[in-house]
Amino acid sequence: MNKYSRRFYSLISFVIIPIMFFWNPSWFSLMRITPYWPLFWILPWALLYGPLSAVIISFCIGIILDSLINDIYTQIPGLMICGFWFGTIGLSQKNGLKNYQYGLIASIGTFICGIFYFIQVIFNSTINNSYSLLFPYAIKNIFAQIFLTGLLAPVLSSWLYIYFKRNNISKLTKRF
Amino acid sequence: MIENRRIKTSRWWNKRKIWFVFLCLLFLIIIRASKTLLYRDIYYLISKPFWPGEFQKEIILNSFDKELKIKLIQLEKDNARLRSLLSLQNSSNEKKITSAVISRNNGSWWKQLILNKGSRDGVEKGDAVVGPGGLLGVIDDVSYLTSSVKLLTSFESKVGVWVQRNNLSGLLIGIGSDSPQLIFYSKDVDVNIGDHVLSSPASTVLPPNIPIGIITYLDIESKPITTAKVQLIAKPHAIDWVEILKLENK
Repeated sequence: MNKYSRRFYSLISFVIIPIMFFWNPSWFSLMRITPYWPLFWILPWALLYGPLSAVIISFCIGIILDSLINDIYTQIPGLMICGFWFGTIGLSQKNGLKNYQYGLIASIGTFICGIFYFIQVIFNSTINNSYSLLFPYAIKNIFAQIFLTGLLAPVLSSWLYIYFKRNNISKLTKRF
Repeated sequence: MIENRRIKTSRWWNKRKIWFVFLCLLFLIIIRASKTLLYRDIYYLISKPFWPGEFQKEIILNSFDKELKIKLIQLEKDNARLRSLLSLQNSSNEKKITSAVISRNNGSWWKQLILNKGSRDGVEKGDAVVGPGGLLGVIDDVSYLTSSVKLLTSFESKVGVWVQRNNLSGLLIGIGSDSPQLIFYSKDVDVNIGDHVLSSPASTVLPPNIPIGIITYLDIESKPITTAKVQLIAKPHAIDWVEILKLENK
């Protein structure tokens, strides 16, 4: 019973990402821009379970997030690269990270994801001839997200890392 | 000694009545000299509790509102009749669906609202969504219980509009920020900062003449076409209730 309940709780922590994406609480926002929620979850997962598992879980999260927003752009490449990078960090840092390292890594991950998304927007907007107007908005957007994600990651990601480690849900992902 | 006292009391400046009359006269002279200004100020203070109050103001405003509504209804009827003669798109007052915003994504890359009305309530893809102030966006996707709105600020939003002052048509393109870009496909256009932008009456997608925004910036120099920035009137980040407008010709 205990084993199943642990699996259930880990599943709930996964479901929180799309819920946060929908909810988008304004008290976490800076200039109405909110943190990049999926990285808070992917970072501790990748640190514990390695790059391959993180890439696969990032792909799954990317598919779910793309389905929530009805546009032509995708978040999958940015998330997969972040998952792989976080996983390689996890291989070299077996004892976890310090709090400020969570913030720094999550900030860089947000930058990677933001740049990947922006490249897609630019590519599409070049056709509309309006790309020059996008830069100020994109810079504001990316840096606000970097700041917020970096600020919250030491709290949320380190808490999730402890949670995953304590619940020992690695059995679920051994096949990866 | 007694005689002397009588003489003293009988002097005119010792008579109170004389002083009273004198003061009354002085008061009248001051009123006359001030041309009743003092008197009016006193009247102001006395009559203040009996002035026409907020209640009467409300009656006047209500009457004014009713007058404007009657005129508006008449104008809308005329407009609908003329538009039907020209076979143009129109919205129907009977097909308005009021809906609450249950999710809001308008700050980051993603620009969409999720409403609590879906196909069960008759919402269809392409319906216009308006809030206090004007047009917010278009229904992009409908599930059984919910529907998502593609906001005008979205990267993929493209809406036909016209300038109210001179009926000049253009294309409003979302660029992510709160001020979408308006493109006029000619160089020499008579557009000023402060002009109002409405949905185009020639549109086959949107109902006509819905207020959208105000032109806040003009770029005439740098491109072969004239572009402008439009500040939207309806604020998606502050709106909790919206109306979904159904097209009559659907």
